[in-house]
Amino acid sequence: MTSLRKLGESYSFIIPSLIFTVVLGIYPILWAIRYMFYSYPGYGEEVFIGFGNFAALMRDEAYWNSVVNTAIYASGKIIITIPLSLVLAVILNKGLKGKNFLRAIYFMPTVLSTAVISIVFFNIFNSYNGIINQFLMKYHIVSKGIDWLGPDMAMFTSIIVAIWGAIGNYMLLFLAGLQSIPDDVYESASLDGANARQKFVYITVPMLGPVLQMIIMLAITISLKGYESIMVLTEGGPIGRTEVMYLYVYRMFFPISSSSTMIQQIGYGSAVGFMSAVIVGLITIGYFWISKRLNRIF
Amino acid sequence: MNTAPATKIAPLTKTGRRAKRLFSRLIVWGFLAMIAIFTVFPVLVTLFGSFKTNAELTTGATILPSVWHFSNYLEAWKQADFAKFTWNSLFISTFTTIGTLLLASMAAYAVDRRNFFGKSFYVSLQAATMFISIGAVVIRPQFELMVKLNLNSSLWGIIFILISAHATTFFILIGFFKGIPRDLDEAAYIDGCNFFSVYWRIILPLLKPGLGVAALFAFRNAWNEYILPLVFTMTNPKLQTLTVGLADLRYGTTAATQTHLIMAGACLSILPILIVYVIANKSFMQVTGGSVKG
Repeated sequence: MTSLRKLGESYSFIIPSLIFTVVLGIYPILWAIRYMFYSYPGYGEEVFIGFGNFAALMRDEAYWNSVVNTAIYASGKIIITIPLSLVLAVILNKGLKGKNFLRAIYFMPTVLSTAVISIVFFNIFNSYNGIINQFLMKYHIVSKGIDWLGPDMAMFTSIIVAIWGAIGNYMLLFLAGLQSIPDDVYESASLDGANARQKFVYITVPMLGPVLQMIIMLAITISLKGYESIMVLTEGGPIGRTEVMYLYVYRMFFPISSSSTMIQQIGYGSAVGFMSAVIVGLITIGYFWISKRLNRIF
Repeated sequence: MNTAPATKIAPLTKTGRRAKRLFSRLIVWGFLAMIAIFTVFPVLVTLFGSFKTNAELTTGATILPSVWHFSNYLEAWKQADFAKFTWNSLFISTFTTIGTLLLASMAAYAVDRRNFFGKSFYVSLQAATMFISIGAVVIRPQFELMVKLNLNSSLWGIIFILISAHATTFFILIGFFKGIPRDLDEAAYIDGCNFFSVYWRIILPLLKPGLGVAALFAFRNAWNEYILPLVFTMTNPKLQTLTVGLADLRYGTTAATQTHLIMAGACLSILPILIVYVIANKSFMQVTGGSVKG
């Protein structure tokens, strides 16, 4: 048996996978990189304009508004989700009665379709006949329904929905991390008279350090990229209050939506998409750098 | 004089400590219950809402329906065309799962069992596709490509794109390969098997647990996919999936939004996955450490 034949056999097994990856994974990225430098509305002529799209991007207030919204959305989601899921994981890591049942309950949202759940939340938060407002009014907590999806509250509501979908997932990642902390560390701490709070602050959090860093990094990149839930829940509205970066990018490519007034611009959209990817990348690298320095200090 | 209060305090502190422990336990349970209610709430609203009338949904502030209208499902199935949506969702999910498993298991087999030129390049390429995702940007070129291949007016365009994202499955399967001893391969070679028949006859049957878990994930992702089917069915409403059809119902082709049909439709799309989740809960819990959504 020649090694050449062996090589051929090996290749024949990875080539199907490679073809799919290259054609539908790599080529689209190159395609977008090329169109960044063109003015192309999706039909007719492509005109090379160099860095023209990027110059326009710098002056595009709607885009930078979406960047700010993304920052609010992601930080709101992360600041609440991470501590909450960490506390849940710590509680459920102990020999609590019914812990498996609770884990299953908390993780359930992760299994369901983001889009469908957002439709359900849309009905729950609906200002005229949503179930939340019906309750609040029935028990006279408020006299008039709160406009949950209106300009003042839409971002808040979107963040609530995002938290709902994310808690269980991060809880599970934390649980996996907690399994790696040996029990005898806790035992010796108990012998020394440490209480639950002290054990959490002085053992769990420090020993979870690397996992915590990884999970926060994942949370940052995922939250900055997420737009499906917002797209269904608010469509970026009202008046652009919940417009996030990648939703804006999406609209440049497929502006066919019930409330959209934007004009399809593929060249410009590629540039906007590239810029958004750079922003996500820079924030991730920045976070990585800071957390590494913090590591050295503590 | 001094001893009397001291003896009196001792049992008090004991019960005090017990009360304190009970109190902190109550707080913990209260906290757990609150999050559990928050988590389950929308699912229950959907489930019970799917049996209400449209009028009850828009006026009554009750969780349980006053009269259970099972006919909502029939109406959604027939009138709102959920039969077609379900078929499309099922079609996409089934073929995506089969394709993903085939591609990923073949690649994982070659990578795990052989050394060849470019292997590390291939593995890093797969890892890169998991991380370098510029999301919305790539959908347009993928769409254009499918237009060129004449696949934009069929469900195969969506299926191929979903199959192309098989990196996660690949890495899950590589993990399972560690549990299959190489001695088995060698014994099979001695018995006259070749590279392909070892894969087909030895590896695939032994990989069943891994394939099962990977299938669960691939099927779930395809079933829940929203943006791709949305893009591909903008001009072909007949090809809509459950997720897309449901979202469309919200804006109502008729004047009034039919919330009861939306709720019934949401149940039709959530329940199958929910049932699978309840049955295969353990597998979901095990592998999710590697794949992240959220």
